[in-house]
Amino acid sequence: MRIIRIALKDLSIRLRDRNTLLMMLFMPITLVAIIGFALGGVAGGGISTVEFLLVAPAEEEEHLFMENEGELLTGAAANLMSQIEMFDAEVATEEEARAAVGAGEKAGAILIPPGFLRAVFDTATVEVTVLRDPVSRIKAGIVQSLAERLATYASAGGVAGRGVFDAIEAERELTDSERWKLGGWMFQWMSERWREPAIGIESSDVEEDEINVYAYFMPAFAVLFLLFTTVASGKSIHEERESGTYERLMTAPVSRTTFIAGKLAGSYLLATVQILVLIGLGTLLFRIGWGTNPLAVVVMAVVTAAGASSLGLLVASFTRTARQTDSIGTAFVLVMSLLGGSMWPVEQAPPAFQSVARFTFNYWAHSGFKKLAFADAGLAGISQEIGIVLAMSAVFFALSVALLSRR
Amino acid sequence: MREGPVIEVKNLVKRYGELAAVDAVSFEVERGEIFGLLGPNGAGKTTTIGVLSCLVKPTSGSAKVAGIDVTRDSLGARSRIGVVPQEIALYPTLSARDNMLFWGRMYGVAEAELAGRIDELLEVVQLAGRARDRIDTFSGGMKRRVNIAVGLLHRPEVLFLDEPTVGIDPQTRRSILELVKDLNDQGLTVLYTTHYLEEAEFLCDRIGIMDEGRMLAVGTKSELTALVGAESVITVRADGMDASLVNWLEPLEGVSDAALGDGDLTVSVTTGSNVLPPLVERLTSSGTSIHSIDVDVPNLEGVFLHLTGKSLRDEADEAPAEDPAGAKP
Ligand SMILES: Nc1ncnc2c1ncn2[C@@H]1O[C@H](COP(=O)(O)OP(=O)(O)O)[C@@H](O)[C@H]1O
Ligand SMILES: [Mg+2]
Repeated sequence: MRIIRIALKDLSIRLRDRNTLLMMLFMPITLVAIIGFALGGVAGGGISTVEFLLVAPAEEEEHLFMENEGELLTGAAANLMSQIEMFDAEVATEEEARAAVGAGEKAGAILIPPGFLRAVFDTATVEVTVLRDPVSRIKAGIVQSLAERLATYASAGGVAGRGVFDAIEAERELTDSERWKLGGWMFQWMSERWREPAIGIESSDVEEDEINVYAYFMPAFAVLFLLFTTVASGKSIHEERESGTYERLMTAPVSRTTFIAGKLAGSYLLATVQILVLIGLGTLLFRIGWGTNPLAVVVMAVVTAAGASSLGLLVASFTRTARQTDSIGTAFVLVMSLLGGSMWPVEQAPPAFQSVARFTFNYWAHSGFKKLAFADAGLAGISQEIGIVLAMSAVFFALSVALLSRR
Repeated sequence: MREGPVIEVKNLVKRYGELAAVDAVSFEVERGEIFGLLGPNGAGKTTTIGVLSCLVKPTSGSAKVAGIDVTRDSLGARSRIGVVPQEIALYPTLSARDNMLFWGRMYGVAEAELAGRIDELLEVVQLAGRARDRIDTFSGGMKRRVNIAVGLLHRPEVLFLDEPTVGIDPQTRRSILELVKDLNDQGLTVLYTTHYLEEAEFLCDRIGIMDEGRMLAVGTKSELTALVGAESVITVRADGMDASLVNWLEPLEGVSDAALGDGDLTVSVTTGSNVLPPLVERLTSSGTSIHSIDVDVPNLEGVFLHLTGKSLRDEADEAPAEDPAGAKP
C-alpha cells in the first residue's frame, strides 16, 4: 500500500513539473519531426521525390556506334527514370554531380564510366560509380538500387546483342560496316524500347511503411527520452536523501525496501505513461502504423518501461548525489543511445559495432518496435525482444538493490 | 496510556569507529514535560535523537519509547514518536494539504480520520487558509510550522524536535517556541534539542546538559544552577552608604557576605532568599540615592562553564538571527 502511495506521490510531483513534461513528450516529438523532415520522411503520406543525376562519360576513346553515344545512353536512362513519378533524374557532368550531391541538393548520382557500351557488348567487366548523399541515406539507397538495375539491364542488353552477332556470324562473316549498321540499329531499337519499358519498375519496394523515417526514429527517441525520465526518477532518490524526506520516511513505519520499491514503481508508472503517449502521438502526428496487433505494441511498451525504470534505478545506485546522477546519468544515457542506435541507424554500422549494440537496452527495445512497425511481427515475432528486455530489467533491478542496500 | 516515563535511555553508547558520539548517556523524560538536550555542536544530541527515532543503531545500552525498546520493536516505537527534522522535510511542489495527506498515509493514519486530523493540525499551526498552496510559496516560518504539524499527524506520545530554530529569524523563532509551548500545554511530551541557552531556559521543564557525547547533568533549571553553588550576587551603586549597612546586612537570613567598596555594595545571598526588598527599603528610608541595583542570578551559562570549563556561547558561535542557512529549505 505504502509502495503505491510513494509511487503516486512521485507521479504527481513529476507530472506537475512543466520541465518534466517538456523533456518527456515535447522534446522527442520535436526531434523526430525535425529528423523526419530532414530525411524526407513520409510527410503527406508518400516519400517525396528522389532527385538524382546521371553522368555521361567525359570522353570515350572509341565510339562503337555513333558520336555522343554516352550522352545518348544517359539521356535515355534519365528519360526512362523520370517516367516514374517518384524519380527526378537529370543529366550532369561529373563535377556538377559531385558538387550537388556533396551539398545535399541531390540524393545521389550515377556515373557511367568511359567505354561502358563497348564493355557491355564485349560482356567485359565495368564499374558504375554511385555517389551517395550520406544524409539522405534512404534516398541514396534508392539511387544505388536504380544503378544496380540499370547495370542489370545494360548487361542483359549486351549479352543479347552479342548473341545476335554470334548467331549471324555463324552463317557468314560480317563486314565492319555491316556490324556498325547492325549495332546502331540494335542500340536504336533498345533505347526505343527503354522509352516504353516492357518491364515496368514496380514501386512496391519503396512503399510508404518501409521508408517511414518516423516509424524508425519515433521509437528510437522514445527509448532515449524514456531513459532521461527514469534517470531523473532515480535522481529523486538522492533528492529525498538530501532534503530530509528520506530520513523522515525512515522514522515512519516505512522500510528501506518499501521506499526503493515505491521509487521504482513511480518511475515505472511515469515511463509507462510516457511511452504510451509517445506511441499515440506518433500514430496521430506521423501516421506511424504499429502493425495489426495493438496488444503487441502495448506489451512492448510496458516491457520497455520496465527496462528503462530499472536502468534509471541502476544509475542512481552507482551515483552518490543528485547532481552526480544528473551529469553521469545524462552521459550514460547518451552513450547507451549512441551504442544502441537510439540516435542513428545502427543497422548501417560495421558488424563489430552492431554486436556491441546488442548489449544495450536501447537496441532491443528499439528492435521490438521496429519489428512491429515495419514487419507487423506480432507478439510472437517480438518474443525475443520481450524476453531480453525483461531479463535486462531483472538484472538491473537486482544490481541496484544490491548497490543501494550497501549504503 | 501507560504509566511511567515516556522515554527511558540507559547507558546509551553509539560509536563511530574510535569516536563515541554518544557515551554512556542516561536520562528519562516524564509524560507531559518538555525535556531539553542542551549542548554545543557535536555534543551527541542528534545521535541520541537518532537512536530514539530508530534511524541510528546503538552500539550498546538501551533506549525505550513508551516502554518499547527501539531496537526490539522499531515499528512499534516509530508509531509512538513524532519526529521533526531540522530540515524542511516536505515536498516543495506539493500543497501543504497534499504533503500532509502523504505523510499521514506513511505514518499509517486511518484514511477515515486523516482529512479531519489535517484540518485540525493546520488550524493549530495557523495555516488553515493556505492548505491548498504549494509549500514553495510559503515563508520560512510557515514551512517550519507545516514541518512540525506533519510530525503530529499520527498523534504521537512524544515529539522530537532537533534544533528547530537554527538559522531562522527572531520572529519566526519566537512563533516556533510558542507553538511548542502551546502543544505542551495541550499535553504533548516534547524532547527538544538546542544549543541556545535562552531556548532551554524559556521552554524546558528539565534539561540534560551534553558535551562530547556525555550527559553531564540532568535536572530542572534550579536544580542545575544549584550545582554551581546557590549564590546570587546583589550589587548596589548609591551615594552615602556606610559601614552600618554592612553590619545590618550580615546577620540577616540568607546573607552570606556583604562588603562595601568605593560607592558600591556587594551582597552574596542564597538564591531565592528575600533580601532585596528590606535592603531597598532601608536605603530609601535613610535618604540614600540609588543609582543602580544588579542581581546576578546563576544561570545555565554558569552551569555549563562550571561543568565543562568552556563557554557555551563560544561554541554556539552563530547568532540565531544572522545565519540565513536554515531559512531556506
Ligand atoms: N554518521 C556518522 N559518522 C561518523 N561520525 C558521526 C556520524 N554522525 C555523527 N557523528 C559524530 O558524532 C558526534 C556527535 O554528533 P551529533 O550527534 O550530530 O551532535 P550534535 O547533534 O549534538 O551537534 C560528532 O562528533 C559527529 O561528528
Ligand atoms: Mg545536531
